[in-house]
Amino acid sequence: MIRPLARAIALAVASFVVAVAPTLAQDQKGTLVFAVESLGAQTLDPILEGRPGNAVYQAAMYDSLVGFDLKKGGVGPGVAERWELSADGMTWTFFIRPGQTFHNGDKLTAHDVKFSLERQMGPGSLAAAAATMRRTIKSIDVVDDLTVKVNTTSPQISLPAGLSRAVAPEGAIMPKNYIEKVGEEEFRKKPIGSGPWKFVRNVPGDRIEFTAVAKHWRGTPSFKDLHVLLVPEESTRVAMVRTGEAAIASIGPETMLSASRAGLEVLAVPGTMQAIFQFYGTWKPEMKDQPIAKARVRQALSLAIDRKQVIEHVMNGKARMPYPFATFVYTDYFSADRWEKWATEAYRYDPALAKKILAEEGYPNGFELKFANTALPGTQFMIDIGTAIADMWTKIGIKVTLKHYEWGSFPPMERGDQAPLIGWGSMYRTAGRPDATWRYNGAFSPDSTQRLLGDKDNCPETCQEFVKTYRALLAELDRTKRTALTDRMVELVNNTWTVVPILEGMGYYAINTKKVGQFDAITGRHELGDVFERIPRPEQKPWKK
Amino acid sequence: MKRFIARRLMQGVVLLCMVATIVFFLGRLTGNPVDLMLPEDATPEDRTALIQTLGLDGPILDQFAIFVGNAVHGDLGTSIRMRQPAAEAFFDRLPNTLMLIPWALLLGMMLGIPLGVVAALHRGGWLDRAAGTVAVLGVAMPSFWLGILLIFVFSVELGWLPSSRMGGPDHYVLPVITLGTFLVAGFMRITRSAMLEVMESEFVKLARIKGLSETTVIWKHCLRNALIPVLTLWGVFVGNLITGAIVTETVFAWPGIGRLTYEAVIYRDFPLLQAVIILESILILAINLGVDILYAYVDPRIRLA
Repeated sequence: MIRPLARAIALAVASFVVAVAPTLAQDQKGTLVFAVESLGAQTLDPILEGRPGNAVYQAAMYDSLVGFDLKKGGVGPGVAERWELSADGMTWTFFIRPGQTFHNGDKLTAHDVKFSLERQMGPGSLAAAAATMRRTIKSIDVVDDLTVKVNTTSPQISLPAGLSRAVAPEGAIMPKNYIEKVGEEEFRKKPIGSGPWKFVRNVPGDRIEFTAVAKHWRGTPSFKDLHVLLVPEESTRVAMVRTGEAAIASIGPETMLSASRAGLEVLAVPGTMQAIFQFYGTWKPEMKDQPIAKARVRQALSLAIDRKQVIEHVMNGKARMPYPFATFVYTDYFSADRWEKWATEAYRYDPALAKKILAEEGYPNGFELKFANTALPGTQFMIDIGTAIADMWTKIGIKVTLKHYEWGSFPPMERGDQAPLIGWGSMYRTAGRPDATWRYNGAFSPDSTQRLLGDKDNCPETCQEFVKTYRALLAELDRTKRTALTDRMVELVNNTWTVVPILEGMGYYAINTKKVGQFDAITGRHELGDVFERIPRPEQKPWKK
Repeated sequence: MKRFIARRLMQGVVLLCMVATIVFFLGRLTGNPVDLMLPEDATPEDRTALIQTLGLDGPILDQFAIFVGNAVHGDLGTSIRMRQPAAEAFFDRLPNTLMLIPWALLLGMMLGIPLGVVAALHRGGWLDRAAGTVAVLGVAMPSFWLGILLIFVFSVELGWLPSSRMGGPDHYVLPVITLGTFLVAGFMRITRSAMLEVMESEFVKLARIKGLSETTVIWKHCLRNALIPVLTLWGVFVGNLITGAIVTETVFAWPGIGRLTYEAVIYRDFPLLQAVIILESILILAINLGVDILYAYVDPRIRLA
């Protein structure tokens, strides 16, 4: 009796799927054309692409083990619906969302998850975190088709964040059976993922084409096709949106105003980055008599910056006052409200107080400051911000020697003895990520590249305190205590004024409202690779005038 | 003639060796691709691992020896960023650039040569001055600015032409004008000075004394002889077009070797940069050799010298 009933139900469900799927597919019309300044390595193999490329175009066709919190920003469900940490903190268990399939029809299972993570850690991987994963992940066990356990060598509280596309690309899930069957070379030519867009064509240096799947848990695309075009020149991208050759184009803040005047909609994605300035080697004994070795002097430099002016004039009003270094409203284990209040007060513009502090510290007539101005590709506005703050410092008597560096030539100066940067200030930026600990580690740990508080041979009191707090944070399993430790780490760094946020920037896009309907991006997520499937056609959701 | 060609080939090989050496070492002075591949919070451990994976961890002289050893066997390495053989990436994109260059050359010659003749015939007159203005503008106008201006006028405002990217014949108009404009100026100036020189020569005076029509004297006798130095410059102009394509292809999102060069520089993709510059050098050397041979045939004085 039960078996015929089950068969009837299965038949009904199958009939429904057969009836509905084509309807959904038929409702997908037109081509969504997106123009972007870089396609990274332009490869569809996740182990060969870095974070930006993964986020721009690979995200369209691959799902990530951990996804996004679409409302707040930061980490949320992905291929795994949920995840939990064992009592000893040494094992993460991920529970896979049932019913997922790859584009060739194969089921997505825990075996694919294990295979993908091991591939990211493998010898041919160019993944940024490959070495860290090899060191921290002891083994990966498939419990059943929908459950996978990741055993770590030490407590890794941040592991789910690290496997979320909100933070890094290493969580991309690839099809085990397909890759093993056709081999890596063939997979790179005809890649298959499980995302809402299927791969169609990759034209090097020009474009990548995708076509929509009929239904997807991330959102079923409204457009039939998606073309991601590589258009390096910003003026050309804007022209393409104006002529309708592209629906959406990435732009910088300097173009927002002209794009808006030309009748284009401008979308600003909040919390995608912080523009900061920082000082190198202030802790070194040979620096002790230098003005910037004093925290109060560095604080005075912050007080001399009129951030609202920078936001208004350099960023065309589309930026906001920052939280403390590398933190955002969506930062995990972080008292955002408390720090927002603190930042509003601490990052105020008070040139009179700045001058008073300088006088108290023995520099009533200012001092000479060498400042390296630099910007990552695609963030040329950083140069303008650096120039603006250098100009503001001159108003409190600082004689700034401004030197511009192309980004590729800047990182080598940070390594070794940092001789070219010791005693210098520099522009820098930090990307919007929900997990602040990694960024703090990269800037302040004695064995990090930047070593802004001290190095292994000379780690002063604040540096030691940072190390202690950071290590405690890594091992802390209790959520409340972890938040307290994050707050402590933030406070320690705040008090040094070694790294000072200038503003919280956004991601900017010019949009032709006749080509796409109104949509929201993901807070903190500059790229649109995880947004394309939720972009409606203009007739489905017209833009509000 | 064979000795001439052999000598030029030998010179070409020496030049290529010098280019390869300079590009190899100069490229590495400008930074490391790993810095551009890793996020700002990457650990030194991750950085070291990536450097090893990419084979950039050995002493630079060892890397150079490997590069030279592979290069003599025709292997110019694998692109760091694209993980594709660098030479293959170059030849994938080369046809796209070669589709632009002949049209730009044609535009340069079709406008530049007649303008040069007209300027020479009206030396000192307003037509000469007008042609001179065209020449100055053509040389002085930055091609990225001209390209953006053309896009704004003809794509955005008038809507007559597509703004960028490869496609049908209409997609070629703006990039070809942008790429070819400086050639108009170049061809015009060289034609004008060559025409002025030829017009003063004895055989032209003889032609006029013989009673040939002015049209025949100018367009048949003068121009034919004036085109010899133009032919010499043709090789130089093709070289300029290949390097000038970097800007034009970037502005018009044209996936040619100019853009590939730009990307190789920006991402510090050493093997790709080496391959692109070596192969571009071979291309330019081959074109110049072809022009020299042609020149030697056209002008026997060169052959005899």
